[in-house]
Amino acid sequence: MGTASPRALNSRWPAVAVVLLAMALFVVPAIAAAAPGDALVGVEITLNNTSGGSLTRFTFVAKSAAPIDSLDLAFPRGFDLSKITLDVVTLEGLTRVPVTAKHEVDGTALKMTFSPPIGSGATIRAQIRDVRLPATGGEHEVGVTYVSQGTAGSVASPEFTFETVKTSELLSRWLDEQPWVKSWNTVDALRLFAQPQKIAIAVPLLFVGWLTSITLVAIAFPFAIVGGLALAFARMSKIPPVRWFAGLYINVIRGTPLFLQIYIAFVGLPIAGVRAPLFITGVLVLALNSSAYLAEIFRAGIQSIHKGQFEAASSVGMTYWQAMQHVIVPQTVKRVLPTMTSEFILLFKDTALLSAVGVFELMLYSNSIATRSGNLTPFVVAAVYYLIITIPLINWVGRLEAKLAVAEGGQTPQNPNKRGGLFWRPASAGPIAEYEASAEVHESR
Amino acid sequence: MSDQAIVRIRGLRKAFGDNEVLRGVDMDVVKGEVVVILGPSGSGKSTLLRCVNRLEEPTGGEVWFEDVQVNLPKTDINKVRERIGMVFQSFNLFPHLTAKGNVMLAQRKVLGRSKEEAARIAVEQLERVGLDDRIDYYPAQLSGGQQQRVAIARALAMDPHVMLFDEVTSALDPELVRGVLDVMKQLAGAGMTMMVVTHEMGFARDVADRVVFMDEGVIVEQGSPAEVFDHPQHERTQDFLGHIT
Ligand SMILES: Nc1ncnc2c1ncn2[C@@H]1O[C@H](COP(=O)(O)OP(=O)(O)OP(=O)(O)O)[C@@H](O)[C@H]1O
Ligand SMILES: [Mg+2]
Repeated sequence: MGTASPRALNSRWPAVAVVLLAMALFVVPAIAAAAPGDALVGVEITLNNTSGGSLTRFTFVAKSAAPIDSLDLAFPRGFDLSKITLDVVTLEGLTRVPVTAKHEVDGTALKMTFSPPIGSGATIRAQIRDVRLPATGGEHEVGVTYVSQGTAGSVASPEFTFETVKTSELLSRWLDEQPWVKSWNTVDALRLFAQPQKIAIAVPLLFVGWLTSITLVAIAFPFAIVGGLALAFARMSKIPPVRWFAGLYINVIRGTPLFLQIYIAFVGLPIAGVRAPLFITGVLVLALNSSAYLAEIFRAGIQSIHKGQFEAASSVGMTYWQAMQHVIVPQTVKRVLPTMTSEFILLFKDTALLSAVGVFELMLYSNSIATRSGNLTPFVVAAVYYLIITIPLINWVGRLEAKLAVAEGGQTPQNPNKRGGLFWRPASAGPIAEYEASAEVHESR
Repeated sequence: MSDQAIVRIRGLRKAFGDNEVLRGVDMDVVKGEVVVILGPSGSGKSTLLRCVNRLEEPTGGEVWFEDVQVNLPKTDINKVRERIGMVFQSFNLFPHLTAKGNVMLAQRKVLGRSKEEAARIAVEQLERVGLDDRIDYYPAQLSGGQQQRVAIARALAMDPHVMLFDEVTSALDPELVRGVLDVMKQLAGAGMTMMVVTHEMGFARDVADRVVFMDEGVIVEQGSPAEVFDHPQHERTQDFLGHIT
């Protein structure tokens, strides 16, 4: 930026522009005299709005060193001049003298004709309103040519910059002008909860938050599984203190709100001198919380396996852990998968609570956009983002449960309707009960 | 050697809370012997078998397997169990493994046999129980009788010195009982030491070297099948056999 030309600097720093303008007013006659043939000097261009894709007002300022009959500005491609209005004055000292100017637009070329011609030594200021900028910003220049006393001339092209606009912003502006959007928004509820423009803005912004929420739970959940398994076995341990500790932990976690646990962790850890990034602390709380619920799910699953399985494993000389690893846990997995997935869904939704302590996940994103814009549409968009994950999982859980009901229904002919309902079908093969019916794993929250 | 007891039970007691189920049982089982244990429901037959491999912890007395006292805390019970096969009324096959997988698992994990060796022995044992055509079936795809024979093969693959059978045909449909009994008969013929709890009187008569009648946690009477079945000495035995036949 520091290497940009002085004129480019002017357009960015109005204070500098004022200084240079003042210099131009007093010094330029000398420069003009020193460079004969240049009828126009000290040309500069400023924009009042530097956001791509929007309407802006160009202010063209130059000093005439000779009478000017007409002025041509050639804008780069992509500029839309079709709706412009023009206002040209000359400044003599501090007084503004209106100039009679006719203008023609041909594509991106603007031709201004002055009658009578602007006299020598005047400061010309042309304001071109309602120029629509292209979406892609960066450095641009305007070609300036003029006719002075019947002779054409040109000056070095003044430069200016503006910012690239986000596609979502463009889309939102485009939507602003659509008749159907206007009529859609006349309904209060629709405007408040499902405003198309806000949807266009919220979708890409919330996407980042959504990824954060997914990442939080994707890291926390595997840890919760490991912790949950450890707690489940500790809870079934033969050693009383181990059993008590696990029971205490599980009950305290399950007996207090996650919200409270989040506050304790986010306030407590820094006080204890542990400085972890918010995200890490968030993962930690989620994992610690979920491990307690998973522990109960696993324990219920393990205990739902008929004790004959453990006895059969023992009778061939397997140790407790061998029996667990090779016989009990593999059978438990299938049974706890639906409940585990439900727990995953709960945990995913619970990431929203982390917004209260400043973890920038989906909820906090939507909340901040909603509050800023005074519109609830971002919340609806957030809801859709949550549902994208949860609905397929909910369906999957349903199918898993149905499959499990069929499998276990087939193996428990003495009580085929235990799982009951629409899903139960008799399995084609009907062997005698191998192990007890269903994993009575309870809903976790 | 042949008359040396593999299983020695002395003054065995087992109580579940206040309920004393075994009240001083003495029993020797010698190598190659087939002992059939009879008795009414609740007399403690299952509990007796389960005390032999300590699936139940005796509350009194001694249980010896070969030269190891089973019911001592310091005894490595898993080592003992490697050599005591047990077959349950409810089969208890591992449902997530195939027939072959069921027979291989403990060979691999407990005896440390190689995969190839365990597989070879599994196939051998499954052939022995007549299931060479069901090797890769899962338990749910097998009939009860077939499952029970897989369970027998699973126990046999460990090279047990004694086999415990606890009412292994009671959960089977009548037409499937025969296949399992045939396997057991064949085992007995091959010299396996067996303790069998059963209600199959025909089997007891044909195969048993000794029949033991239990009631209320004690051995009431024992002897050869001919002695017990044809000339029962005790009233309770007579009642029981009268009921059965
Ligand atoms: N784990 C246990 N806890 C409490 N009581 C038990 C337990 N196992 C067995 N019993 C009791 O011990 C008694 C003897 O049971 P056991 O299973 O040994 O009888 P059984 O002779 O095998 O009978 P059945 O022919 O019905 O199988 C029964 O009264 C039973 O209720
Ligand atoms: Mg029994």
